[in-house]
Amino acid sequence: MTHEELREEYGAFALGVADEMARLEIAEHLGRQCGECTAAVRQALATVAVMSEAVATAEPPARLRRRVLDMVRKDPKRNWALGLIPWAAAGILAVALVSVGLTGRVAQKDKDALARLEQALQVLNDPAAKDVSFGDPQASGRVLVSPSRGVVLIAAHLPKLERDRIFQMWVIPTQGNPISAGTFLSEVDDTAVYVRRGAVAGAAAIAVTVEPSGGSAQPTTTPFIVTKL
Amino acid sequence: MTIPGLLLALELSGHYDEELARRLQQRDERAMVDLYDRYGRLAWSVIVAIVRDTSLAEDLVQETFLRVWTRIQFFDAGRGALGPWLLAIARNRAIDHIRSVRSRMDRGSVELDVTSHPSLFVDMERDIFNTDHARLIGAALKKLNANQQRVIELAYYEGLSQTEMAERMGQPLGTVKTWVRTALSTLRDQLAEVVR
Repeated sequence: MTHEELREEYGAFALGVADEMARLEIAEHLGRQCGECTAAVRQALATVAVMSEAVATAEPPARLRRRVLDMVRKDPKRNWALGLIPWAAAGILAVALVSVGLTGRVAQKDKDALARLEQALQVLNDPAAKDVSFGDPQASGRVLVSPSRGVVLIAAHLPKLERDRIFQMWVIPTQGNPISAGTFLSEVDDTAVYVRRGAVAGAAAIAVTVEPSGGSAQPTTTPFIVTKL
Repeated sequence: MTIPGLLLALELSGHYDEELARRLQQRDERAMVDLYDRYGRLAWSVIVAIVRDTSLAEDLVQETFLRVWTRIQFFDAGRGALGPWLLAIARNRAIDHIRSVRSRMDRGSVELDVTSHPSLFVDMERDIFNTDHARLIGAALKKLNANQQRVIELAYYEGLSQTEMAERMGQPLGTVKTWVRTALSTLRDQLAEVVR
């Protein structure tokens, strides 16, 4: 479809009622950050947002406020890992679902994403796993480390990479040189969910650097993420 | 300055949601209460209007806020429009539910959920929900003719696709598409000072 034809569909898309062909076409344009489609969909979403003001207001039951708060309240008796599962799962599944939405079928990329979800859940479900948040100006997110199962990195606001560069994760041992934990790229929205399987016993910190696209034997730049465990 | 005074100052300066989003990203539980106090009633109203079942609506409101909590790290606090994003999630939760009840969705497909893309909810009017805007949208809806109002209702409250609307109304698809397009174009023009 041409942009001229798509112009007739942005509103329906924002309302979630566009027909299949237009929906997939616009999704594909958004996926490759088409400026015209992104601007038009944003404007249409704002229109739909204001439409909610026309809905007759009703008062929710008082107990609902408590229910919402209880969802996020820290409870020491609760298995903390369970609370993290939606967070990691949302990130990984979003990658898979958007791709499925774009193609209408489960592609290899989506199978890979789902496999990563399974690996991430194995780390999350380890009672011995450590959970460390980070919020540097250049990136924010969290690292989950299971000494016996591996590392999950969930990050947002990652820096833009030049074409020949890649992110590389490092396990920093209490003694000795950093050990490479593999390379990864971010999604188009500068987020990443990266899973490194395998034992990481004795790790004192997890770090991420920007390296040449093939990866490096040792860090060649200053880490922009360093999480002490 | 007292905390309420600070909150009032932030709100008046139009940066309340930005600060709220940052606190959510820092996993501040109290921010969730503030988020609920700010948008809970609106989310509830939208969801109840769609599903018409208060017991179910409680679960869907909970899901909505949980989704914001789990996805907030992907939200641009500086440029993002927290309210429109949350309300879009609320409406999507409700529409997804009634669609699943009607078994209308294709089993083999997964719908692209625009609410999974917080990056689309940026650079909107910061104070998009206020009484002036409520009056504006009320007046704008009155400018639509009966057919245009009907398709907007079927889309917003029932989540019918344009093909489904055409079947429901017994009209050609092209006609329905024209009504939808014209209606949204009229609303956008009427809301020009809000929707940039």
